[in-house]
Amino acid sequence: MSRKNLLVEANALRWEIGDNLHDTIMESIYADASKIASRALIKNEEENSFVIDRVIDRLITSRWLGFPLMFLMLAIVFWITIVGANYPSGFLAWLLVDLGQPFLKETAMSIGFPAWLSGLIFDGAYLAMAWVIAVMLPPMAIFFPMFTLLEDFGYLPRVAFNLDNLFRKAGAHGKQALSMTMGFGCNAAGIISTRIIDSPRERLIAIITNNFSLCNGRWPTQILIATIFIGAAAPAHLAGLLSAGAVVFIALLGIVFSLLVSWGLSRSVLKGEASTFSLELPPYRPPRIMQTLYTSLIDRTIFVLWRAIVFAIPAGVVIWLTANIDIAGVSIAEHFISWSNPFGLLLGLNGVILLAYIIAIPANEIVIPTILMLTVLVTGMSGLGEGTGVMFELDSISDTSGILAAGGWTMLTGINLMLFSLLHNPCSTTIYTIYKETGSIKWTAVSTLLPVVMGVVVCFFVAQLWYLFS
Amino acid sequence: MSVQKVDHNCADCPIHNTGNLKKLGIDMTDHDYVVALAGNPNTGKSTVFNSLTGLRQHTGNWPGKTVTRAEGAFSYNDSKFKIVDLPGTYSLLSTSTDEEVARDFILFGQPDVTVIVVDATRLERNLNLVLQVLEITDRAIVCLNLIDEASRNNIEIDTRTLSKDLGVPVIATAARTNVGMQELISKIEEVSSGKYICKPHRVTGNSRKIDKAINDLSDKIHKEFPNLPNPKWVALRLLEGDQKIIDALKNGDLGDLKSNYEMIQSVREERKETIDVA
Amino acid sequence: MGDPILALMIGSAILVIFTFLFFPSKGFYFRWKKSKNISEKVLIEDALKYIYDCEYKNINCTVQSIAGNLEISSNNALDVVKSLQSHKLITSSERLINLTEHGRSYALKVIRIHRLWEKYLADETGVNPADWHDEAESKEHELTEERANELAVQMGNPIKDPHGDPIPNRKGEIPQFEDLHLNSLKANEIATITHIEDEPSSAYSQILALGLNPGMQIKVIQVSSEKIVFEAEGDEKVLAPVFASNISIRKIRKDEKIQENFRNLLSLSKNEKARVIGISRSCRGLQRRRLMDLGIVPGARVSIAIKSPSGNPTAYNIRGASIALRNDQASQIFIEGISQN
Repeated sequence: MSRKNLLVEANALRWEIGDNLHDTIMESIYADASKIASRALIKNEEENSFVIDRVIDRLITSRWLGFPLMFLMLAIVFWITIVGANYPSGFLAWLLVDLGQPFLKETAMSIGFPAWLSGLIFDGAYLAMAWVIAVMLPPMAIFFPMFTLLEDFGYLPRVAFNLDNLFRKAGAHGKQALSMTMGFGCNAAGIISTRIIDSPRERLIAIITNNFSLCNGRWPTQILIATIFIGAAAPAHLAGLLSAGAVVFIALLGIVFSLLVSWGLSRSVLKGEASTFSLELPPYRPPRIMQTLYTSLIDRTIFVLWRAIVFAIPAGVVIWLTANIDIAGVSIAEHFISWSNPFGLLLGLNGVILLAYIIAIPANEIVIPTILMLTVLVTGMSGLGEGTGVMFELDSISDTSGILAAGGWTMLTGINLMLFSLLHNPCSTTIYTIYKETGSIKWTAVSTLLPVVMGVVVCFFVAQLWYLFS
Repeated sequence: MSVQKVDHNCADCPIHNTGNLKKLGIDMTDHDYVVALAGNPNTGKSTVFNSLTGLRQHTGNWPGKTVTRAEGAFSYNDSKFKIVDLPGTYSLLSTSTDEEVARDFILFGQPDVTVIVVDATRLERNLNLVLQVLEITDRAIVCLNLIDEASRNNIEIDTRTLSKDLGVPVIATAARTNVGMQELISKIEEVSSGKYICKPHRVTGNSRKIDKAINDLSDKIHKEFPNLPNPKWVALRLLEGDQKIIDALKNGDLGDLKSNYEMIQSVREERKETIDVA
Repeated sequence: MGDPILALMIGSAILVIFTFLFFPSKGFYFRWKKSKNISEKVLIEDALKYIYDCEYKNINCTVQSIAGNLEISSNNALDVVKSLQSHKLITSSERLINLTEHGRSYALKVIRIHRLWEKYLADETGVNPADWHDEAESKEHELTEERANELAVQMGNPIKDPHGDPIPNRKGEIPQFEDLHLNSLKANEIATITHIEDEPSSAYSQILALGLNPGMQIKVIQVSSEKIVFEAEGDEKVLAPVFASNISIRKIRKDEKIQENFRNLLSLSKNEKARVIGISRSCRGLQRRRLMDLGIVPGARVSIAIKSPSGNPTAYNIRGASIALRNDQASQIFIEGISQN
């Protein structure tokens, strides 16, 4: 019998057997499995096994305690991340920016670099990279291992289990809860983690909405602006609480947007019913701390950081160039700012912020330094910063506040910057990751533009209502 | 390679062989044997992989974590083993990419031995994958992992009965604490070198009509490719419309799978001879 | 700064206009794009499909009937026919239109893509069954043959679409077989649904509303000239004979199991133990396979492990593992109680 006939025969048999082949095969495999297992199990006291697991499960999935415990856990993780990252971040900034940058620049000068070249390399490329490392590395190195520990312990599957109801109503997958939480660390990592969702429709929803999770690069912006504008407006003893509350509010707003957009997508472009959720809840296992530290550092932190650096370096060059190339005696940056300022004001923002968000696409971490640099540039303040086109940050919040006030910032600018920081295009690392994961230009464009459009709309209405009532 | 020669009498006592184990990480040049690592998600498969190779691959709680397969190597008793960590899957019969990667590697990659990592606390569910792998290959080892967790939870498994029923070696391990890993390694060597011949359990008892269809087809496949070790599995996959199998049948790649089988056969013959001599 | 009220009004207006223009799939832009898409290619392919259908059903096919089916004027239909002729896809003589060999294989290619896409929607996405046909209607003109083949490979070269229609193979071969219709059954006969006709959509939506799917076992209770009463997965269904003729069946074989108990997993109470006896036919494709992979096949013992705060999903003990399932999935799994001892 020839090979071809074999295929013909197989095809004919397929028609004869009908739809039940897979069902029947699985049934007989499991029948054997269950027979073999029962012969091999000498002792299987169901009542006495996994007692601790059941106690923990009952607690963390309970009707009353489930959600509060979850938020508490999340809050602790963020608190440790933010507080813990402060010191190493400060140290890295001191090392790379305060110490490293002038040193490199002087060395370059001494071996005869032309000023423009050393400006381009050290004020532009190097500084952007240094900032990304200083701001990004410590929180990620803290957040990801903690996240991985919770994952390895077996807690995260229970989070998905608890939250699935919300996501089901939004037409999304329960595991989106996890990619969303992961997004709080870094959107690029969050998008990679959507691989655990096997339905293509729901995976796409998870990818598109991941940007609504406030990532580590945006937390510092939120905290700084909230402290300057929200905290300052409150009585001193309430300032800290109120500004923290504002940041949490923005983060929660992000979750609400994430669910709303999921809901909207699953009723329009990505139409469909919420499909399956068949999740195995693994037994709790004591996580192995050292192993986790090592692997999450290698797998996630370094991976994401590397991508960010690759994108930040050209951005640094562009930032420096826009501030240093003059057309008709005025730098490109100033041209753009004065041109886009009216539009910025319409949104309750300003030209500086718009330009900063455009040229700082590669990494959200450099938005604030870029804003400060540009503000000084346009206001023509002297004695501040490090020179034209050089990004900088200030140690004291009151100094920063002073610069921003001089740049014409108001409470509205602060609020809208916080909103816009939540609702704008993902950073280029994330955009690239979306493209890699979806393989589609169309969906990459949707994920990129949707949040910007939403940001513009939200900021516009907030600003106009503000103008109306003030 | 400068690995010590061991006293031949002690080849079977694993404890004494620690010195013969060399973890080679990702150095995979000129391996003698290929070991595939299969298993359900959450069974500590990556931990077993790491423990064998000395690498540190991330262990995750999710299916689809190992998106592409990871590879590593170790050497033992003068032989080098390349070890391929397949994606964690619940089954090999569905249509997801993970399962396709695992399934195709076990069939076409022709590993010298497939180690199936099993969660001892969830034996019955895990046996599904074991039985599916045993349909494809007749050289497999069951690594009954997380045995410590099982005994902590009052579950006790008779590995000898299990091994007899499955027809392949069953090694109880706790990879996190390196319990049983030596024994696993020496079994890997025994099976891949042909010292241990498996007689894998094959599932029977589908409906009469389906059994007849599979048997008819597999008889014909057997006639066309007499050396194919698993005509029943190939028949089943043809009935499920697996394009890889259809292509392999068309271009005759299925016929090439014999080489490996013949190798086992020759090893078997050899063994028979030695037994006869003895 | 301008007048905020004016700005708000203009802003809202722009928002409304944009929504109107670009609202996904219903917006003006998408409608316009869709109408533009009804190109010659689409008309030709639809006409071929229709002529093939006529051949299949042994109906005479005329320019008039083509015009009616494609909802175009007879002049346009005549143009389409001429163009089909010039491409040597059909022969037309004495008002009778027949497909050429080439035309038939073209038609089957389009049908193949259509049915593959329906299968894809049914098996791997959560798209509503009522939308399968329409989505496939537009996709059949867009998808290339290569992409369709990739899709087929990915799904394991399926032989039937979700309605039970055969999917032509790559060479455009399609098996011919005859099934009985539901109206041919007598009371107390048991049969399996093999095919549900998805056109016209009014009839299909009636059948869909009853929750019928190919592969389901049905048992006829009562037949009269006004209605057919039958049982499917434990529920009693009533259908007019007109609609019943859209459902094909085959009588049950002797060695097939007849499932009689239809209690679902959702009804399981805490501390109760039960055994799985089947999964509803409305659960298909990837979802069905996933459930079975996890050990949810007839014979598996189940009990409730934990409920989530909202009660949906619930985790069940299945073969030693705890598996979380949403309630609508649980309602598709049939169980029977086991006496506790």
